[in-house]
Amino acid sequence: MAVAVPKKNLSEWHSPSTRPEVIHELIHGVDRYNPTNLPFMEEYLLSQIKEGQYDLFANLAVLKLYQFNPQHSNPDIIIHILIKALSSTVHGPDFNLSLGLLREPTAILHDIESDDEALTILMPYLTNLHELIRTCQFTKFWKEFNGESEAANILKTRYLPSHSTPIDDLRFQFSLSIASCFSTISLNQLSRWLNLSSSEVGGYVEKIGWNVEGDKAVVPKNGDNDVKAGVVKENVQLSQLTKLVAAAGY
Amino acid sequence: MADPTAFYEPTEDELLSSLAVPVQSYNPESDADEYRRLQELEQHAYAQQQLMVAEQEQEQLQALEQVPEDVKRFLVLFHQAILENDLPTITNMYESGWNKLTQAHYSQNEWPEAELISPLVGNDQVFLTLYRELYFRHVYAKLQPTIDDRFQSYENIYSDGPVPLDLPIQWLWDMLDEFVYQFSNFSTWRANPKNKNEEELEALAEAQNIWSSYSVLNVLYSLVQKSQINEQLRAEKQGKTPEEVQELAGEYGSKPLYRNLGYFSLICLLRVHVLLGDPTLALQTMENVDLSGGAFLTRITACHVTTYYHVGCAYMALGRWPDAIKTFISVLIFFIRMKQYHTRSYQYGSITKQCERMYALLAICTTLSPGPSDESIMSIVKEHYADQLSVLQRGGDEALETFKDLFLSASPKYLNVNPPPYEDPSALESYLANPPIDATQRHLDLFLSDVVAVRGVSNIRNLLKLYTSIDASKLVTFSEGETEEEEILQQLMVLKAASRTYAKGQQQDTLLDGERIVTNNLDFTIDGSMVHVEETTSHRRYAGFFIRNAEHAQRVFNTIKSSPLPIQRKPTTSVTQTTTDNKNEPKKSGAWQPKRARVAAQ
Repeated sequence: MAVAVPKKNLSEWHSPSTRPEVIHELIHGVDRYNPTNLPFMEEYLLSQIKEGQYDLFANLAVLKLYQFNPQHSNPDIIIHILIKALSSTVHGPDFNLSLGLLREPTAILHDIESDDEALTILMPYLTNLHELIRTCQFTKFWKEFNGESEAANILKTRYLPSHSTPIDDLRFQFSLSIASCFSTISLNQLSRWLNLSSSEVGGYVEKIGWNVEGDKAVVPKNGDNDVKAGVVKENVQLSQLTKLVAAAGY
Repeated sequence: MADPTAFYEPTEDELLSSLAVPVQSYNPESDADEYRRLQELEQHAYAQQQLMVAEQEQEQLQALEQVPEDVKRFLVLFHQAILENDLPTITNMYESGWNKLTQAHYSQNEWPEAELISPLVGNDQVFLTLYRELYFRHVYAKLQPTIDDRFQSYENIYSDGPVPLDLPIQWLWDMLDEFVYQFSNFSTWRANPKNKNEEELEALAEAQNIWSSYSVLNVLYSLVQKSQINEQLRAEKQGKTPEEVQELAGEYGSKPLYRNLGYFSLICLLRVHVLLGDPTLALQTMENVDLSGGAFLTRITACHVTTYYHVGCAYMALGRWPDAIKTFISVLIFFIRMKQYHTRSYQYGSITKQCERMYALLAICTTLSPGPSDESIMSIVKEHYADQLSVLQRGGDEALETFKDLFLSASPKYLNVNPPPYEDPSALESYLANPPIDATQRHLDLFLSDVVAVRGVSNIRNLLKLYTSIDASKLVTFSEGETEEEEILQQLMVLKAASRTYAKGQQQDTLLDGERIVTNNLDFTIDGSMVHVEETTSHRRYAGFFIRNAEHAQRVFNTIKSSPLPIQRKPTTSVTQTTTDNKNEPKKSGAWQPKRARVAAQ
């Protein structure tokens, strides 16, 4: 597993290195509106799920096609896309961007004349989970996630099994948030936030590149958790002075 | 005056082909069928029109008599200018002549219909198409349009195919701008089945595809493709020579008319995508467009302001507040500077309104992501929204309400992609009984969820400002209500995330690119449960001030140096004496001689 460090820029976000050239061409051209490409795009989503990859822009293109062709909507695919967005970022806009292209579940189901209730039950549930994640209420999140509610059951029995490592993805995203804040943190707190037993937490921490010292985990410095007071000095570029220098030449 | 028909009389075949050229066949087969159907409809409508023209010719000639003489003259000259492709004259007639005549004769009613004036211009369909475009724009700007106007304007723009001329860029922009405006206007009108009479409902049920989102995107994308504008812009960015770019552009794109239409279509696509709630796609569409100070789009104020407004809104939806702030501020500074030079065209009002919206959005963005920004603009924000800003900063439910009001007043008018089911009366009834959440409400909810997620942040930030280090357990005692240490630590993590974001870095980056940046001076590290606070201070900035003023002084100096000396005041002595003086003086003393010396010489 990779070391938990926040990404320095967004190039992986808008064009992941795992994206095939065909998909890139497709979502950058007008062919993205062609509903005959839907099976192909859905296939790509399923492969992301299986391989543990993530391509938000391709997934948004699928939702866009559903938006324009409501009769082609596939509730299972929608749920998979939402799960992907949920488990791929803590503070990113991904989940809300996906929601922005969706209507209420009843309207979606009405257009495909489906009586599968899963979407109606899961959309509010996933939205709630997303609110918990983005406000860093991780302990509460796991409680909801592991709860016995109908939605939690449907999610775990029907959808999560096709994802490669959904729970590890979530833990890894949470560790990113923790890493940007803490230089050391008690293992006890960590086990609550990451939903790991006290015997497991030590091993997990080392897997993501942190060290265990006594009952604490030490997070390596990453630029966010080792802040220093600085003074921002004024910086004048030569290009700002071109006019003055030119005028001095006369 | 020469008979206008002498210049150009299109044959019947030419006419039809000019109207019926398919916009571009990139779409799935189903859409291709759709096209053929639409074209047939168009041709059919055209044939009928011809019949009617013949029948009503007599009537029309009489009506033509009623048209004021100066309007007739204007139309004939306008037609002639277009036939001769005389760009300066076209620009002048478009920008001033049309507006003047509108004020004089048509401030309360419509311009004469195209069919009516067609004898004046020798029935030139190219001119009539352009004329209809102006006609409908006037209808929308000044009068309440009827449903017939809306449908016709659609067909009018749809047939706006390969016109063999060059038009002023202002006109091209106005045309596309109006196209998107009419689309959004019509969609909003159609989205609400209430308050529509039988006739209107029937018409809407029949005309499913009129102004559908697909067809609008279709027109814009086909203009983009036809002009190869993306390829052209990319090649220009790579530093290819104008000849190479010309070659890439193809037979359409190498003509300024199509290149400009393609360019403006990209900006209209940005708008449509934002309105349909897809900010990532909106920014992706603009990946090849240069947004910097001297870019092409800045040549037209309305275009400049609209582009920046929508880019800023897209950044807001991505939670990239600093980028949104930067975008709004840069265009507002520009607008303030050029305000005094802008001609008060009919767009001036809407540009001003859009700018006012940006001040409201700035109030939102700077509250969510406080940090240094341009002082002159921020002082205007503070002036306009003093009350709201203080409520926003206090936080709580009242602040949420204010966020909501500001957002609703300043955000774009989001559109539903799919219209209500007019074709199915029973479905329409259930739609009316249980209307779905409209698009604006949906985007408002998403925005408010962003706000709610960071609502505790400003309180805890203000608390931290007082300390250099503090134990989390102590912070618990300061916070309202019953909280546990864990909750405080969670809030601290939210604060950390709220002061980090991605922002566009170098010039060559596309709009979607971003580097991770720190947005706030206050930062902290948690060691176990001990919070260490660090505050970055910035020195006052002087250089900008000095550079600006030194440059200003230089300009003033240059102006003084290059201006002629003041002209000598006329002496009050008799006329004859002055004339002789004037004749002799230049020989005796140069113009540079001080006034006092000249007075002495007299």
